Amino acid sequence: MLLLPKFDYYEPKELTEACRLLSETGSKAKIIAGGTDILVNMKKGLISPKVLVSLGRISRLSEVERMNKSITIGSHLIIAKLAEFDLIRKRFSILASAAKVLGSPLVRNRATIGGNIVTARPAADLPPVLMALGAKVKLKSRRSEREVALDDFFIGPGATVIKPDEILTRVIIPETPSYTGGHYIKLGHRKALEIAIVAVASKITLNKPDGVIKDAKIVLSAVAPKAVHAKSAEEVLIGEKPSAKLFEEAASLAMNDCKPITDIRGGVDYRQAMVEILTRRTLSFAWKEAKKGKKQ
Amino acid sequence: MKQFSVINTRLPRIDAHAKVTGDAQYAADLSMPNMLYGALLQSPFAHAKILNIDISKTKRLVGVKDIITAKEAGLIKYGVSPARYDETLFCDKKVRYIGDEIAAVAAVDIETALEAVSLIKVDYEPLPVILNVFDAIKEGAPAIHDDFPNNICAEVHQEFGNVEEGFKQSDYIRTDKFVNKKQDGAFLEPQACIAVYDLNENLTLYTSTQSPHYVQRTVAMVLNIPIGKIRVVQPYVGGGFGPKAAANSIELSACLLSKRTGRPVKMGFTREQVFLHSRGRHQFYHELTTGVKKDGTIVALKNTCYLDGGAYASFGIATVYYAGSLLGGPYKLANMKYDGYRVYTNKPACGAQRGHGGVVARAAWEQQLDIIAEELGMDPIEFRLKNIMQRGDVTCNDLNMSSLGMRESLEAVRDGSGWVRKKGKLPKGKGIGVACGFFVSGAGYPIYRSETFHSTAMIKLSEDGGTVDLFTAAAEIGQGSDTILSMIAAEALGVRFEDVKIHSGNTDFGVDLGAYSSRQTLMSGHAVKQAAENVKQQVLEVLSKKLNTPLEDMDIKDGLIIFKKGPVDCSSLKASYIKEHRGWAKFPTESQLTFQEAARIAYLEKGVIVGSGAYKPGELGGKYKGAAVGTSPAYGCSAQIVEVTVDMETGEVTVDNMTDAHDCGLAINRMNVEGQMQGSLSMGLGEALFEEVKFDKKGKIENPTLGEYRIPTALDMPNVNTIIIESNEPNGPFGAKEVGEGAIMPTIPAILNAIYDATGVRIKELPVTAERIYHALKEKEKGKE
Ligand SMILES: Cc1cc2nc3c(=O)[nH]c(=O)nc-3n(C[C@H](O)[C@H](O)[C@H](O)COP(=O)(O)OP(=O)(O)OC[C@H]3O[C@@H](n4cnc5c(N)ncnc54)[C@H](O)[C@@H]3O)c2cc1C
Repeated sequence: MLLLPKFDYYEPKELTEACRLLSETGSKAKIIAGGTDILVNMKKGLISPKVLVSLGRISRLSEVERMNKSITIGSHLIIAKLAEFDLIRKRFSILASAAKVLGSPLVRNRATIGGNIVTARPAADLPPVLMALGAKVKLKSRRSEREVALDDFFIGPGATVIKPDEILTRVIIPETPSYTGGHYIKLGHRKALEIAIVAVASKITLNKPDGVIKDAKIVLSAVAPKAVHAKSAEEVLIGEKPSAKLFEEAASLAMNDCKPITDIRGGVDYRQAMVEILTRRTLSFAWKEAKKGKKQ
Repeated sequence: MKQFSVINTRLPRIDAHAKVTGDAQYAADLSMPNMLYGALLQSPFAHAKILNIDISKTKRLVGVKDIITAKEAGLIKYGVSPARYDETLFCDKKVRYIGDEIAAVAAVDIETALEAVSLIKVDYEPLPVILNVFDAIKEGAPAIHDDFPNNICAEVHQEFGNVEEGFKQSDYIRTDKFVNKKQDGAFLEPQACIAVYDLNENLTLYTSTQSPHYVQRTVAMVLNIPIGKIRVVQPYVGGGFGPKAAANSIELSACLLSKRTGRPVKMGFTREQVFLHSRGRHQFYHELTTGVKKDGTIVALKNTCYLDGGAYASFGIATVYYAGSLLGGPYKLANMKYDGYRVYTNKPACGAQRGHGGVVARAAWEQQLDIIAEELGMDPIEFRLKNIMQRGDVTCNDLNMSSLGMRESLEAVRDGSGWVRKKGKLPKGKGIGVACGFFVSGAGYPIYRSETFHSTAMIKLSEDGGTVDLFTAAAEIGQGSDTILSMIAAEALGVRFEDVKIHSGNTDFGVDLGAYSSRQTLMSGHAVKQAAENVKQQVLEVLSKKLNTPLEDMDIKDGLIIFKKGPVDCSSLKASYIKEHRGWAKFPTESQLTFQEAARIAYLEKGVIVGSGAYKPGELGGKYKGAAVGTSPAYGCSAQIVEVTVDMETGEVTVDNMTDAHDCGLAINRMNVEGQMQGSLSMGLGEALFEEVKFDKKGKIENPTLGEYRIPTALDMPNVNTIIIESNEPNGPFGAKEVGEGAIMPTIPAILNAIYDATGVRIKELPVTAERIYHALKEKEKGKE
């Protein structure tokens, strides 16, 4: 039997209380959100925090709010709900599609958006789409509050810039301009309960339906210590008129924008080759959507 | 067509409510007053000498009640086949795989038990680790077992007919190699048990097993306790697929710890320990050479196979025989030669898994036959039909197909899948493939040499006559035997299904070899049928006397007494039942004499009515060495057609459709037969596309979780068109035979053949991952340039 080590458990109702608990217990405390990562790691004996602070009863952290130029998502929103919100489905469909392929219904009913970000797995499903959408996170501690672009948040597998006494409270996603489209493809061995072998999230914005590419984001997942932008691929797209040929060029550049490794899920060659294919496919799909003109 | 009242219908399973509501208790759910918890110490090295074991720190830990090592447990060898007893409960001088057992501890709670084992200090001297069959048999390789200096655990050399002659007569001969990977049973319920040794020196072991009988024998032998003092009881079991068909280290440890401490001891495997204990499917390296005539007649087959067996024999001797014998059919084949070698390596032991020994051989051959059909320009189904065996045929290795709906199955899937419309006409990336297979309906012999009955059964009627208690030691492991055996009892006795109360999975209830080799419907079914007929006879005998009516003129059906020659006046019997029945619930209101009334009358006349039945197979074919593995009273068979879509860029495979026809002789419960077909196909799909236990260079399993060892999810399974074929097996109860394992035989090769049809590449290594297809497609492109 795998046992959990002993720990104290708190369920504060107020964010300030949660911040106080964290700052007072120092590095011995950890936040628990859905627990789908942290409890597994505790059972495996990889970590043994003395105190767990749950965010489950702080209701504001499960809310989605619309601001003037962005939406903000409470860090404790469960993945299953992400895909349900009309606002997210219509405006940020790639986030909804990533949420739908994360784990299984059981996992999606517990796991949270904040947990998926802070846990910082190189193959996690939400970071690549959130990075493609230009998301920021709000980090709050007892004494301070700051915003960090997700692009600057991850350091490596399991490592981020969050401090031990900080809580990720909200994910802020800027409104997307018109003529924007996006797509997320996760390649796995089976059709559910799968960690990506390779995943790619792309988003492009055109200046007009049959115009040139104004903005492009391509984020590659599971092919580096953290999700990474395919920078040279993004650059080659900007200012160009979309075409199958252009996307092929970008896709082949993307292959060199990552540094995959061979592990039990897949080999280097295969991963690299799949980056090309998935980049091309996500871009083609994004283009189709962008042309429709609707706001994503 | 016979008319049945209970069997050959669709009835919900007896255990459905308990399982769906969560009421069902599995071994891990049980607990006893005053219970201790056990934990195992297992080797961190794949191959090492044990220099010293120091338990002094463990002894001092508060809450530890007992510590056992080889010193306390002794060195009695056990295993599965008596010819290869090569395990001791704990390692003495050396360890042979990562996970080999060194000690066990019993403590007041699980936390203490786990801490206690971590305090045992073992000094090891690492030895060279052998992880590959071909390294193991190299000249000068270190011996994993001293008695087997070349690491060959078992070898088989058989020839039927004359293969060289056969090749001379052939117009076309080809050789192919094929390999799979070590697999895990991946059943949902990890093994768990509780042992209770009481003050009268009786031992009861509650355990998650497929064979209470084999566990009882092994515990008796290893712990030196008389058989009659040991009762093995099976709670609800969450699947087995083979690995639970023999005694394991926690069962033996818990029994010994309970005997020594006088307290109940509970033990259980983690998922990782399930992978370490393993006993799942071997890795097989097959080389097959097949010779055919121009007209498509199969003439000869030469099969060489090396099996990576892991550190111990387990069921491996049977496995190495099955990897040859199960290619004897279902095609007419006059000449067959087989050389098999089962080899020890420093990995967890392999054993029996669904389709024992035959699944990979079948995958290899059915793919090769597909290649040959293409070379000959024949449709794969036409080619198979040309060579197909039928009822009454005997294979060159003496397997008697006393019933065989193979042709019917193949034609049924051809027609049911739209094969003619689709084959050769699908766009690139879409493919369709076919394969056939057959399997034993119960091993013809027990795993130990003996004249024992394979199954016994006992039926007792309740004093009010209203309930039929059926006692059997047969093992319900999720496959549905409780339901099937109750249906057989009800049918044979002439009562309603709901009148039967089954008590199973307990060695006190008789002898039954258990749930493996797809044997219980046929074998336990025979014993149950006999017991029911015996009880029926006893009731009718009393009636015959009371009513002065010849016994042959009466029968029992649907809970009522039938008088074949017209009505008989039963009013006095009915009146006496009502008198007896005063104040009881539920007395019969029918105007006819019911079984319930008749059974009460019989009880008043004779005391408790008890009947028994016992089954062992009659004379089976084969006088050659090894004939005991493969011969069976009957053989089930099936044909499958699979349709796939392959992403030509990524290599991803989606199985779109599966059509399966299986000949189970007679379907006792049609829903259950379909369930077994679906389950087999899903398991075969997983083995074809995902499953592989991976090892690092030191022999450590890299993926001992169901996250990284993948079995199919509901989303990976397409809808299955299941077609039941009934051939009325003369050696089966009511004509029934197996469906549990035969149905997995064609799945892998049908998928492989469909993938070829879609892509033009032949994959000869399992699992067929997207990555493997991708590389094969690249190779093919290169070849073209
Ligand atoms: C069976 C299974 C399948 C899975 N499949 C997938 C998959 O397909 N794709 C995928 O991406 N992931 C998958 N995961 C991983 C996991 O479910 C996700 O990463 C999940 O989103 C984590 O969220 P959680 O709320 O459960 O986090 P928790 O486990 O509660 O926390 C994870 C970490 O984040 C920290 N944390 C959580 N919330 C905050 C916060 N607000 N502020 C500061 N720190 C915080 C915790 O301290 C902890 O270190 C799977 C996990 C399991 C068990």
